[in-house]
Amino acid sequence: MNFRRYLLRKAVYVIITIFFIASLNFLLFQVIAGDPTYVLLPRGCGTSNVTGECPLRAQLIHEWALDQPLIVRFVTYLRNVFSGNLGTSITYQTGVPVATIIAPRLSTTLILVGVATAATMWLGIILGRISGWRRGRPADVIITLSTLFGYSMPSFWVSLLLIFSLSVSVRIFPVYWDFGAYARMDLLSAVLDYIWHLILPVATFIITNVAWFSLTLRNSLTDVLPEDYMITARAKGLSQGQQLRWHALPNARLPLVTASALYFGWVVSGAIVIEIVFTIQGLGQLTWEATTSFDFPLLSAIFLIATIGVVVANAVADVLYMFLDPRVREA
Amino acid sequence: MNVAETTIVGKRYSLLRERLSHDIERFRKFTAVLIKNRLAFAGIVIIALFTVMSFGAPLLVGPYPSQLQRTTDNLPPSSAHWLGTDWEGFDILTLLVYGGQISLIIGFSASIVAMVLGTLVGVVGGFYGGITDLILARMTDFFLVIPWLPFVLVLVIILTPSLATIILAIAIVSWPSTARVIRSQVLTVKERQFIERSRAIGARPSFIVRKHIIPNVMPLVWAEAVLTVSNSVFTEAFLSFFGLGASGPDVIRSWGVLVNESYIHLALVQGHWWYFGPPGLFITVVVLGFAMLGYGLEEVMNPALKRR
Repeated sequence: MNFRRYLLRKAVYVIITIFFIASLNFLLFQVIAGDPTYVLLPRGCGTSNVTGECPLRAQLIHEWALDQPLIVRFVTYLRNVFSGNLGTSITYQTGVPVATIIAPRLSTTLILVGVATAATMWLGIILGRISGWRRGRPADVIITLSTLFGYSMPSFWVSLLLIFSLSVSVRIFPVYWDFGAYARMDLLSAVLDYIWHLILPVATFIITNVAWFSLTLRNSLTDVLPEDYMITARAKGLSQGQQLRWHALPNARLPLVTASALYFGWVVSGAIVIEIVFTIQGLGQLTWEATTSFDFPLLSAIFLIATIGVVVANAVADVLYMFLDPRVREA
Repeated sequence: MNVAETTIVGKRYSLLRERLSHDIERFRKFTAVLIKNRLAFAGIVIIALFTVMSFGAPLLVGPYPSQLQRTTDNLPPSSAHWLGTDWEGFDILTLLVYGGQISLIIGFSASIVAMVLGTLVGVVGGFYGGITDLILARMTDFFLVIPWLPFVLVLVIILTPSLATIILAIAIVSWPSTARVIRSQVLTVKERQFIERSRAIGARPSFIVRKHIIPNVMPLVWAEAVLTVSNSVFTEAFLSFFGLGASGPDVIRSWGVLVNESYIHLALVQGHWWYFGPPGLFITVVVLGFAMLGYGLEEVMNPALKRR
């Protein structure tokens, strides 16, 4: 009963947040950026016709009410966005709806982020368990320092180093990812090729982000270890592995879920840069293209989608937390 | 001068000295603890080293290269150019030594702006509570959830990239975490007895904030500030890699700009590791240095953390 009410409250919260994100987007691109007829419309004509009119410009001005007062523009913007019209590209692919450009890119990024997060979490739990259990010993010091060092490295630099060492100097992994090639491949070799290409980007993710999980688990383990029930576990003669598996980990795991919530915003940022260097045709590379070609409607839509994605992921993690913690669940 | 006057002057002087010696003693103890904390000490050494290197650059490698000092581009390392030359024919080592100036200036300035904003929001929300706190806390959560890189990219591109806008943009994405930490600290300080006593003898809220709340959260603000410098240097590197760094013919290239230029001019496929390697390493070490000092400070300020 309570759980359902919690879900409802969470959903309302997410909807309100999305509304504010859309408003922030409007504020950034249509107020702070300056004259929207200058920023959000193509320079000159996208497709000029004989009469010398600009049909695209006229259409966009009408569609987004760019010649109307601010309030009207704001309402028009919200109506358009919530009915799925995210805008029209003005320089990158002039005249093409932004949603059409973004849609095929989304799945690529989701696969990358999903695989990378799973791998990072898995390794983070293993490392965090070791260093939390052996706090202050050499193993802990080595793990903590090396993960922190990885955490301080900009992901674009790690990507460059990995490509340089494993693709350019020693030619093990491919330098360039040709997404067009998949049309000519059968399913199995396409999947294998995809996995082969994913290894270095995922390795970059792990190197730069594993500290997030390993340090969280280490700290929550050290909170748990002095508890009375851990002493009881030892007193009743459980082996170290049993103590860890049955009593320490279940209690130390919860902060990991919270940590993963904040992690999504981080992972999106990491993905952007990694995609650029590894020529992965996802949202990140699109961000780069939108930035370098000053395609503001495209950039605005990417920002909107990335932010909403993070908010939703956070909400899911919150609900998961609630589900995993019996104290909260049954309260 | 009569006897009474001398004793008053003397008393005042001794009071001042006592007070000063108390401060000096506290400072001495603080630095002793800080040096004992190996993490913080290593951080300080790294920061000092890179600060001296970057701002002592004119003494180390001569003036910043002008357009006239260009030689052949893309030279490999040699005795004349230890790290070779870049795509325009500038000595990479010289650019590298100077590059820290921009990274550090942006790091420190953005951190200061973010601290003022974050502390203000945290203290006001935490102390006054009620609807003010609700609004400020919700606002903090909102900004905290926005992925930092897209946000900072959008901010900089909209405000047009320059040193000032980069600093502002980084500060805008950095203040929420500080606000959250400071707010929770204010909430615990607020419940302490001396605040209640102060209230009981009729102190106004503004007085309590100035004399009791702020001094008690200040240590944490410092720790947060150092961590924010670390984040700011990191963020600046990402912005520069995106080609949104402060640029221009006379502007000093930051480390991130160097990596960006090396990447754009294909240093990677040509195998010129001496071009993109060192600037990235410097970014990493400086970010790590500030993070270590920050964690160390937190540990020193917050004894509960240390005992764990």
